Amino acid sequence: MAWTKWSYMDHWVTETPQGPQPPSFNRAYMDRYIKQLSALGFKGFDTFFFYLPMIEGMYGSVKAFEHFLQDNGFEKITGIFSAYPYATKYTAPHVPETHDRIVADCMATVRAVEGLSVENFIVMPSTTYFQVEPVTDEKIKIMADLWNRVGQMTLEHGMRTTCHFEFWGAIRTREQLDLFFRYTDPRYVYFFCDTAQHTIAGVDPLQMFRDYRDRCTGFHFKDTHTVDEHEAYRTPPDPELMAPNVTRWFYEMGTEGGLVDFPALMREIVTSGYDGWLTVEHDKAELGGGSYAEATCVAKWYIDNVLAEAQAEAEAQLEAGR
Amino acid sequence: MTDIRWGYALNQWKPQFDDFVRREQHERALKTVSIAGFEGVELTAGTGRWEPLGNPQQLIANFGSLTGFREFLSGCGIAAVSSWFYDPQQRSMEHLTPPYSPLVAADVTGIVTRAEWFAGALAQLGGSVLVVRAAPSAGDVGPLDDAALRRLADCWTAVGRATLAHGVRTALHVDFLSSLRRPGALDRLLGLADPAAVGLAVDTAELTVAGLDPVEVIRRHRGRVWHVQYKDALAADTDEEYLQPHAEYSVRQRGGSREIPRWFAEPGAHGGLVDFAAVTRALLDIGYAGWVVFESDQSPHPATSALLGGYLLQRDLRPVTAAAVEAAAR
Repeated sequence: MAWTKWSYMDHWVTETPQGPQPPSFNRAYMDRYIKQLSALGFKGFDTFFFYLPMIEGMYGSVKAFEHFLQDNGFEKITGIFSAYPYATKYTAPHVPETHDRIVADCMATVRAVEGLSVENFIVMPSTTYFQVEPVTDEKIKIMADLWNRVGQMTLEHGMRTTCHFEFWGAIRTREQLDLFFRYTDPRYVYFFCDTAQHTIAGVDPLQMFRDYRDRCTGFHFKDTHTVDEHEAYRTPPDPELMAPNVTRWFYEMGTEGGLVDFPALMREIVTSGYDGWLTVEHDKAELGGGSYAEATCVAKWYIDNVLAEAQAEAEAQLEAGR
Repeated sequence: MTDIRWGYALNQWKPQFDDFVRREQHERALKTVSIAGFEGVELTAGTGRWEPLGNPQQLIANFGSLTGFREFLSGCGIAAVSSWFYDPQQRSMEHLTPPYSPLVAADVTGIVTRAEWFAGALAQLGGSVLVVRAAPSAGDVGPLDDAALRRLADCWTAVGRATLAHGVRTALHVDFLSSLRRPGALDRLLGLADPAAVGLAVDTAELTVAGLDPVEVIRRHRGRVWHVQYKDALAADTDEEYLQPHAEYSVRQRGGSREIPRWFAEPGAHGGLVDFAAVTRALLDIGYAGWVVFESDQSPHPATSALLGGYLLQRDLRPVTAAAVEAAAR
C-alpha cells in the first residue's frame, strides 16, 4: 500500500499583482495554494510559527484553517517549525541567560496551536555557526539543556520537540550531532532528519536515521547538488543565501545532479518500521526562475513513481523474510 | 468506467517561439501533467528547430524516432498524445510552404498532405484526433457566405477522409475570432461536410467568449462531438470586436477596447464563466467517448494552472462521471 502520510512544508512563493509573495498574501491565494497541494494528494501540512498569526487573520483561527485543510483532503497540521537562527542578546541557545525567554517564546507558539493534534514542534537547535564558534562540548551541552526544557514543556502539550540541524548551524558534524544527542534526554528531544542539510554538511542522512531511528519523528525530503567543502557554513552573516560560491543549495527531489539517495532512505524507513510522517520540502525553488508549483509536482511525481517502487521492494523483502 | 479520457494541452508552457525548448523543461511539464491526474497530452503544431514537439520531423530529430518520443512520454507517466492542434495558416519551415487557407481551393491539397503527416504520427503516439482551426479570423476574411462554407466543408471533408485512413478523426475547432460563431454558420458547415469524416472540437472557453453556450452546442451536435477542450473564459466578446481586422492582436492578445488582460484561464478559475459540471453532464448525456483536454493558454503560471485543473477534475468532475456510471449500472 502506498505511503499515505506525506506532508508538505510551507515554503511557497506565488506571483501576485504586487510581485512574488507567500500564499498568505491573501485568503484567495492561500486557498489556491492549498487546492494545489490537495490535487497532489498531500495529507499533512507543516508551517512556520510566524505564519500562524496570518493564518488566524485569514481563516478566523488556526483551527478553522485546519478544517479548511480537512475539507480539501488533508488530515491535519502535522508540524510547526520554530527557529532562532541568528544570535541576539535575547535569543542564543548557546547562552544560558537567554533560555527563559526562548522557552517562553516557544510556549507562546505552542499555545497558538493548542487543541489541535500537531505532532512535531520542529526547532533549529542552534544559531549560525560563526556566532557560536569555537563550538565546544560545553556550548553543545548548554544548547542541549535548553531543548530538554522546551521538549518537556511541549510534550505536556502533546507535541514532540524535534531537532532539525542546518549545515550552517553550530551542531553540524557527526561528532557534534552525537554529542548533542548524548546530552539531550531521549524522552524530551527527538531527531528530525533533513536529508539535504546533512548531506551538505558531509553527514550521511541515511546513517543518521539508522543510528537515531528510535528518536526520529520526521523528515524533510529535499535534495542538494553541493557538499560544502570550502567552509561556506562559516560565512557571515548568512551562509544559506549569501555564500559567495553557491547561490542555491536546495532542490526538490527528482532533479539531475541530486546527491541524496532517496530510494535507499525509503527502503530503510520501511525496513525500520517507521510509520510517521514524511515531509516534502524544497525551499528557494524560485531561484533561477523556478516555480514552486512545478517543483512540488516534480517531487510528488518522484514519490509516486520512484519512491513507491522502493517502498514496495522493501515491503516485499520484509514479507519474504517472515 | 466512462469512455472519457482526460488529457492536458502543453500549449500554455510555450508563450513564444524560443521558450520551452529544452528536454528537461518538457520532462518537468509532462511530470506535472501526470501527477495532476491526466493521462494524455495535446500538442500544438509548430515549425522549426525550437519546436521540438511541434511536428513529426522535429520529434524524430529530438527523440530519434516517434517510438523514442513515446518512450519519453511513458517515462514521465504519460500514456499517449491525445491530439494535435493544427492551424493551416501557419507556414512550415520544414516544407517551406506559405500559410494555407481552407477557403482557397488551391490550398486544399497542401492542407490534406500536412494533415496526413500529423495524423500518421498521431496514430503512432496513441492519439485519435487531429484538431484543426476550422476557419480564419472573421476580421481577415469577411463573412462566410454559402459558397465560402461549402469551400470549408469540401476542404475539411477531404482532410477528414485522409486522416481516417490513419485511424485519426478530424475535429473542427471554432475559436471566438471565427465567423462560425454567427447564428447558423456552424450548423450549416457541419451539414455540408461529410458526417463520417468531419466532427466538432468543443472548446468551452472559445464558445463562451463568442457568446455560445457549450452545453447547448454539445446537445445540438451530439453525434458530431469528437473532441473536447476544457478551459475557462473570464469575459465574453459582447461587442463583437472579433470583426475587427487583425483581431488576433487587437482583441485576442490586447483584450479589445476593454483591454481584457486574459480571456482564458484554467477550468474552475475564480470568476470563470463556464459550468464544467454541467458540460460534463452534457457529455455523459450524449454518450461522449473520447478525450477531454484541459487547457489554460495564456496562463502565466502553467504548473499552477495544471494543478488547479487537476483539483477540479479530481474533486468535482470525477464524482460526476462516477455518479453517471453508478446510475447506468442500476
